[in-house]
Amino acid sequence: MANTTLSPLHRADGSARYTKNGYSVIAAVNGPIEVQRRDELPEEAAVDVAVRPAAGLGGLPERHLESILQNTLRHVIVVSAHPRTLIQFTLQIVTSPGDDSVTGSLPQASSNLPVLPALLQASILALLSTSIPLFMTLTATLVAVNPNGILLVEPSVQEIKLASSIHVLAFSSHGDLLVVESEGDFTIDKWEEVHKKAKSICHEEAGDESESGSEDVSMSSDDSSKIENVLKEAVERKIAKEQRWKESTG
Amino acid sequence: MTLPTPPQPLTFPALTFAKLAPRPFLTAHLTSPSGPLRPSGRLPSQPRAPTCNAGSLTHANGSAVVRCGDTAAVCGVRAEILKVDDVAGYEGREVEDGGDEDGDEDGEEDEEERRSEEREPKRRRNDRDDLARLMLLVPNIELATGCSPAHLPGGPPSVLAQTLTQRVMRLLLTGDMIGLEPLRIWFRPTEGAAGATGDERIGGDGGEMEARRAGDEDGIAKAEVKAFWVLYIDVLFISLDGNAFDAAWFAILAALRDTLLPRAWWDADREMVLCSDEVAEAGRLVVRDVLVPLSFGVFEGEGMGVGEEGREEGKGRWVLVDMDGFEEGLCREEGTVVVGEGGRVVRIEKSGGLGVGVGEMTGLVELAVKRREEWMRVLGML
Repeated sequence: MANTTLSPLHRADGSARYTKNGYSVIAAVNGPIEVQRRDELPEEAAVDVAVRPAAGLGGLPERHLESILQNTLRHVIVVSAHPRTLIQFTLQIVTSPGDDSVTGSLPQASSNLPVLPALLQASILALLSTSIPLFMTLTATLVAVNPNGILLVEPSVQEIKLASSIHVLAFSSHGDLLVVESEGDFTIDKWEEVHKKAKSICHEEAGDESESGSEDVSMSSDDSSKIENVLKEAVERKIAKEQRWKESTG
Repeated sequence: MTLPTPPQPLTFPALTFAKLAPRPFLTAHLTSPSGPLRPSGRLPSQPRAPTCNAGSLTHANGSAVVRCGDTAAVCGVRAEILKVDDVAGYEGREVEDGGDEDGDEDGEEDEEERRSEEREPKRRRNDRDDLARLMLLVPNIELATGCSPAHLPGGPPSVLAQTLTQRVMRLLLTGDMIGLEPLRIWFRPTEGAAGATGDERIGGDGGEMEARRAGDEDGIAKAEVKAFWVLYIDVLFISLDGNAFDAAWFAILAALRDTLLPRAWWDADREMVLCSDEVAEAGRLVVRDVLVPLSFGVFEGEGMGVGEEGREEGKGRWVLVDMDGFEEGLCREEGTVVVGEGGRVVRIEKSGGLGVGVGEMTGLVELAVKRREEWMRVLGML
């Protein structure tokens, strides 16, 4: 079950905390702010992402995650709306499910992918908590395939360790594939299966919408298997909070 | 009555056009009436022809120079010894019998063969864990060599260089290319007797088995792993014109296939690892699978205004494989697929846009399989 908090940090322009599957990430967004001359882009906002690991200083795995996030967020934000500015993300991994065995103690021994969905979700929630215009929102999930070919959604650390392949997929709010990071040993048919499964988790099909439309809001929000609903719920809470003055005066 | 002469159209060479308006330049090429063609004359799905020269560095254990278009990289593999005593908290894993990583078990009994087949995935996973934990493969990619104006020499490693190193590292570890067995350096108590049998087989693995069995029977010191080879894999870019990952990976692949490890053993009296300087005794590193990446980008045409038939021209998406530097500057969405033997996929990554869905990805994997054949030919394997 995902746990979200919008705007836990008061000094940042926007922030969010996202906890799921043992990973907890705090994201802060500042922007549009002044940009250094050498990073300035004449026609769009520069996007800068810094990922801080739960322990120690960032290294190669964090740089890799940063470049994936930067590439993705640049596509999500309407960067052309704020030319010659900077939108800065700071993502702190607060907790990650520790692997207590000796082999898991070194960062390079394990994959850096399992934390990616939480980072993506936290940054999109932080963007929602600011007023930066977006083209779309996104939802991300992690799927592992175990050696018997069974798909495991949001696997545990041990399951990831034994899995033959792990897949991070993110979908836009229109249901298009936005990010893929798959590693391990698999076939393209398996990957298509993973894609289908991940899409069903991340994105409500057009057919489902009429169904959920007939239900009342609280019912559809309870369906935590759909990650989109986590976003919806967070936005609903934010709107309710911001409209409080109106309700009390009205 | 004379008609006014039509004004001379403003013309300039193609190169100037490319500099002034890169996006419309590429769009114009891709929307040409004779079918989409890139400025380099390639089709969108056509990668550049590779060349490879292995063994060009004399002082490295293995090396290769690889060139794809104007991207050229040199890779050197240096093997150094890591003593087990120097590893903090090292606990030796019980090593299974036999060093035949590729299942050359003709003489074995049926039952034993089946048993070892069942254990094979587990052993491989353990090997992979150990490779990662002991950091026996250390890749590094250097872009600050003056290879392109975007990467000035003298600075700290750029984000691109660090990201490339990380991606290469993950692919080395998850791709299951190199087994742990060739990297183990053994202590063999009955060195003299085992030496003779060991020489019959390349790599001396048989000798280790013999020694272990002999040791078990006599109840004296067992054969044990005393040290490991650490492979330092350095890639320097001589010239960079797009698609750094593929070039770096090919250079690494060719260099690893070229790597010779000297015969090494633990000398109990001197308490150190000794290496034989006989080239004939050195073993070539076994690369289990040729993993071939294919990087791609998606170019999104912004449109060149409304055409004569009332529809907008030049709007569309093109998936370009093996981009050059010019195209890379214009493509936001980028990714890589990596395939191995028999259509197995080892890695799929993409980010930055919506252009590649399931259908496109399937097509790209097929292209990567073709690319693999091309590479096998270049490496002299087909």
